[in-house]
Amino acid sequence: MMERPLDLLRDVLDHTIVDADGAPCGTVDDLLLEGGPGQLLKVTALLVGPGPLVRRLPRWLERAAAWIFGRRYARVSWSEVESISATVTLRSPAAKLGLGRWDRKVGRWLARIPGS
Amino acid sequence: MKVAATNQALALLLRIFVSMGAFVEVGALTFSIGAGARFGYSLVWVIVIGTVGIAVYCEISGRIAAVRNEPLFALIRQRDGFRSGLLTLVAVTSANALTCAAQIGAVAMLWQLLSGWPYRLLVLLALIFFILAVWFTPKEWIERVFGLLGLMMIVFVTVAVSLHPRWSQVAATALPNLPPFKTRRDGLLYGYYAIALLGSILLPYKTYFRASAAIEHKRKVSHIVPDRVTWIVGFGLGSLLPVSLLLIGADFFAPRQIEPQLPGGAALATASLFGIAGMLIAVGGMFFAFAGAAIEMALSGAYNVAQFLGWRWGKLGTPRSAARFAVSWIALLCAAALIVLTGLDPARIVECSVILSVVILPFTYFPLVVIGADRRIMGDRASGKLIKALGWLYFMLITLAALAVIPLFILTRVGKG
Repeated sequence: MMERPLDLLRDVLDHTIVDADGAPCGTVDDLLLEGGPGQLLKVTALLVGPGPLVRRLPRWLERAAAWIFGRRYARVSWSEVESISATVTLRSPAAKLGLGRWDRKVGRWLARIPGS
Repeated sequence: MKVAATNQALALLLRIFVSMGAFVEVGALTFSIGAGARFGYSLVWVIVIGTVGIAVYCEISGRIAAVRNEPLFALIRQRDGFRSGLLTLVAVTSANALTCAAQIGAVAMLWQLLSGWPYRLLVLLALIFFILAVWFTPKEWIERVFGLLGLMMIVFVTVAVSLHPRWSQVAATALPNLPPFKTRRDGLLYGYYAIALLGSILLPYKTYFRASAAIEHKRKVSHIVPDRVTWIVGFGLGSLLPVSLLLIGADFFAPRQIEPQLPGGAALATASLFGIAGMLIAVGGMFFAFAGAAIEMALSGAYNVAQFLGWRWGKLGTPRSAARFAVSWIALLCAAALIVLTGLDPARIVECSVILSVVILPFTYFPLVVIGADRRIMGDRASGKLIKALGWLYFMLITLAALAVIPLFILTRVGKG
């Protein structure tokens, strides 16, 4: 139960996202809001991935960063958010939402090495 | 009940010894001996100031980890925003890579001293050794083995004592002092050594590594006091190592007019006093201290990146359970080895790594001081008046050092006077 109104910039943006299994699976890199002037403004999704992060860089750095990291991102519906505290906790596992893909991919490569 | 208390006391003692053994890396070793060889005892006060500073910053970072149980770099990003947090991340990671390169180069030099094999081959072997050591060794054993065996460096304390230093003079130099300088250049060089020595003791990887380790080991608010004891006693005892190295510089190298070359110079002093056995203990101690530092730097870099980007992180599980974290520390070790393999003079890498660290010190410690004192984040465990005052005092000191170090670096012709 939150005692004060939700401050999207302070309480949500840039916070670590934790999936239903309790594993970190990215950060809230941007938020998608819907609603025109005079209408009710609604948060519809969390954007996670290099795309929204690259856009937040200074212009001179943006192109180079986009070339290296790409502009892809995952869109996580706001209805997936279970709770907001120090981290943003989701209702589903990361794999179902398209998050933490690289961790799983790289994990499969590493699994071939002894001691992994 | 009694057994539990004894176990707790033993655990505390172990942590103190590990902190002590992990206190010196190659930068602190080089600048301590160099400072002693050039300026006698007069820079002992810098080691005292540096030791208090690193204990203060470790206390703050450990307390933040215990209270929030949140990774430091996640907090930095949440509080300061993406751009500002990224600046801190880039600064800390670059310093980590360069200081890690310095350790790898120093380990290869130690192996070369014993084997006579080609330096570059030994750098590659050292890289493979580090990767295998971190891959296969459980985290707590990495800290214990390298920290405790690094204690073999205590041989330098014995060497320093057997050189019969003038203790009253040593005690007098524990307070800030300025010796008389023959030339202006001597004064500049004194300033350069003072700042570099301070920077080598305040290397930021120590605080960030320990904060992440505290979360991994589930340190709680009840651990804040024993952790404080660990920093104060462990670092206090650990500071005897750089002080001893400085005394060796003053009492062994200065009278013989030898320019100590790293890290063989330090081994030379022990060999001339205690023979081959002394030299082997010194080389062994330096190896474990530098190797432990290299591993902590690589892991610290990976912790920071993973926490900033919200990846799975940690060394308690298997590498594949935190895959991108594992790739990050391997990449950091490889980048560090590549820096050494470019053929840069190892002594120059050590110097540059410390100088770069000094330049970025304000960026790395500013978020710590601010977050530690922020009541919205820390509640009633926010920094008290003393820690807050010390945190800001040291922040002003490292900012002045960061502003002065590049001009001094150029004016002293890279510390050559």
